[in-house]
Amino acid sequence: MTQVKVFSIDGQYYLPMITPPPFDADLLRRYDRPGPRYTSYPTAPQFSGKFSEANLLDVIKRSNEDPIPRPLSIYVHVPFCASPCFYCGCNRIITRDEKRGEKYLEDLRKEVAMVAPLFESDREVMQLHFGGGTPNFLSPAQLNEFMQFLLQHFHFSASENRDISIEIDPRCVKPNDVAALAAMGFNRASLGVQDFDPEVQAAVNRIQSVEETLAVIHACRENGFKSVNVDLIYGLPKQTVTGFAKTLDTVIEARPDRIAVYSYAHMPQLFKPQRQLDETLLPTPETKLSLLQLAIEKLSQAGYCYIGMDHFALPEDELAIAQERGDLHRNFMGYTTHADSDLIGLGVSSISHIGESFSQNPRDLPSWEAAVEARHLPIWRGMNLSEDDVIRADLIQRWMCQGEIDIGKFEERHNIYFHEYFGEDLKKLQSLEEDGLVTVSPTHLKATSRGRLLLRIIAACFDAYLNPSATVLQFSKTI
Amino acid sequence: MNVKRRISPIADDGDEIRFCSTCAFSSACLSEGFSKNSLQDLHVLVEHIGPFREGDHIFREGDDFNAIAAVRGGTVKTYVVDTDGNEQVQGFFLPGEVIGLNAIHHSKYPCNAVALDTVMLCRFSFPKMALLATKMPGLQTQLFRLLSQDIGKAALLAGDYSADQRMAAFLVALSRRYAARGFSATRFHLTMSRTDIANYLRLAPETVSRVLRRFQTEGLVQVERREIELSQFKQLEQLARPVLRD
Repeated sequence: MTQVKVFSIDGQYYLPMITPPPFDADLLRRYDRPGPRYTSYPTAPQFSGKFSEANLLDVIKRSNEDPIPRPLSIYVHVPFCASPCFYCGCNRIITRDEKRGEKYLEDLRKEVAMVAPLFESDREVMQLHFGGGTPNFLSPAQLNEFMQFLLQHFHFSASENRDISIEIDPRCVKPNDVAALAAMGFNRASLGVQDFDPEVQAAVNRIQSVEETLAVIHACRENGFKSVNVDLIYGLPKQTVTGFAKTLDTVIEARPDRIAVYSYAHMPQLFKPQRQLDETLLPTPETKLSLLQLAIEKLSQAGYCYIGMDHFALPEDELAIAQERGDLHRNFMGYTTHADSDLIGLGVSSISHIGESFSQNPRDLPSWEAAVEARHLPIWRGMNLSEDDVIRADLIQRWMCQGEIDIGKFEERHNIYFHEYFGEDLKKLQSLEEDGLVTVSPTHLKATSRGRLLLRIIAACFDAYLNPSATVLQFSKTI
Repeated sequence: MNVKRRISPIADDGDEIRFCSTCAFSSACLSEGFSKNSLQDLHVLVEHIGPFREGDHIFREGDDFNAIAAVRGGTVKTYVVDTDGNEQVQGFFLPGEVIGLNAIHHSKYPCNAVALDTVMLCRFSFPKMALLATKMPGLQTQLFRLLSQDIGKAALLAGDYSADQRMAAFLVALSRRYAARGFSATRFHLTMSRTDIANYLRLAPETVSRVLRRFQTEGLVQVERREIELSQFKQLEQLARPVLRD
């Protein structure tokens, strides 16, 4: 065990929780069932094609009229990848043609020019994230040009808390690329690694050396990035406990601020790229559980805090501190310290969350291009949240971030009697309570340490849309 | 689904024999010994109308005046459009408050009234109300009181006050008005847009937000979307004193 450190922020002291969640294989096996990950509530399958451009214009107008309009977060989706990773469940297009990037940026600028003026100019951008695909499929010069365009059209916060982040494929990084990213304002990076084991890399079609990966981490540090995240995946073909242990040791030694360990969800019926993967090489459910256990143990021993839902962070990282303060949030980009902001999704397949609405751009490039080129907001589907949706979304968001609900405060916020409002839902919790995952008292709903790995199972009890028969196809398994 | 909500700031609707909880006239009538039942006997037209949806006009400037109306639920905004075509917000009317009073000495409404959310009204035929008032001194007093309040409200912001003072006065006045109807004095929903608040206070919309943000940093208020909590009411009152003059 590493020494427990105490951190001071604004004169208050916080003691990040570094106790690892206990690992109970039997329990995890029993609860390994499909369910949403709750990056949103309601989840994307509930979005409707009836949600129109006029609906979106209306919610944006409304969001400008709050007494203190929310700050803005921007997500930019870059769909291109130079080569296909077989585990991928993201929306991406395989190409090596740089001209496609140029054309895409041209359309993105059209989207920005349409969307930006809809937001009052005193609404500051606190967070900008480039995801993919492979954002660094675009050259630093292309990214810089687009960044300048964004800076001209939106009012970016000058605060130190401003986060400008990018997902990086280390295989596409040339020397000086990271310095160029830092110069244009990027201060956070997330690196795809998955596993360093050469056999696994061959099986998933992603050959990436330790050296080129570490070089990017070091370059981020040298160029003053506030934090570096590394993504790993367990449950990939050919993965073994020995091989993954080596990967974890290598990553831990590089000491990134955050580490995400995702569960591989094999859903070839939903994600075409996964059909290229040899199913017979997938680890058994037992091995998969051992890989998760290994990751939790190793990361905890190395001093990483468990944030929730596959995410770990060093105790001095903002996420760990925010969680201790009860200030952690979650949106489509994952966990964040940015309190409720309105999220603008740009590019193909991106999701926006503005006011009490969700809306998603077309998932296929031609539809998105056609809409943008016709100077229409590219809306594929979306929804306006009902009062009940808003209450449940708040509950699920708090639950996924803190693993705890203060019932009195929640009643105050939403003007409800908790035990009456959620009477039916609380009944569903009973078996989870008996299994020791959650405690329900008159004043608090609290995940036990055993329940912390199964937050989404508990959250699902409060999902008014969940129809057990429909979840099998739509959602990945829990573990 | 089991959906039980606590009572939110909407008037408790009356019935054949009970007045609505926020009725602007009930106390005056009751003190005269008139129950709602006996008012009906006097053929006073008391008519519940609505709901009006957000953006619906209740009356427009120049419409013939024949009734005043008490707000039972929701918020009504009154405004005029100046010769340059700019909207000038005159006031906001909460449950229990009466609209149309400034039309009494005209035969036409001198302003527009629009619903800011779902609005329910209780409509009083004015000629009949006036006739009744001649027989009920208490009702007459209440009418005069309402009229003078209406005039006082408009004069409030005419002085040379800072943005902080205006904003504090706005919040304190809202709080008192809600409290007078039995709603929470320290926590309420701002039904008006920031553009409307800014227009009413003669400030820029960004200034409204900037002042509120600073109040929030200083711990005076807590704002989330349109929910506002007055955390340091005394300090806000202090700040509002020059405007509210009390």
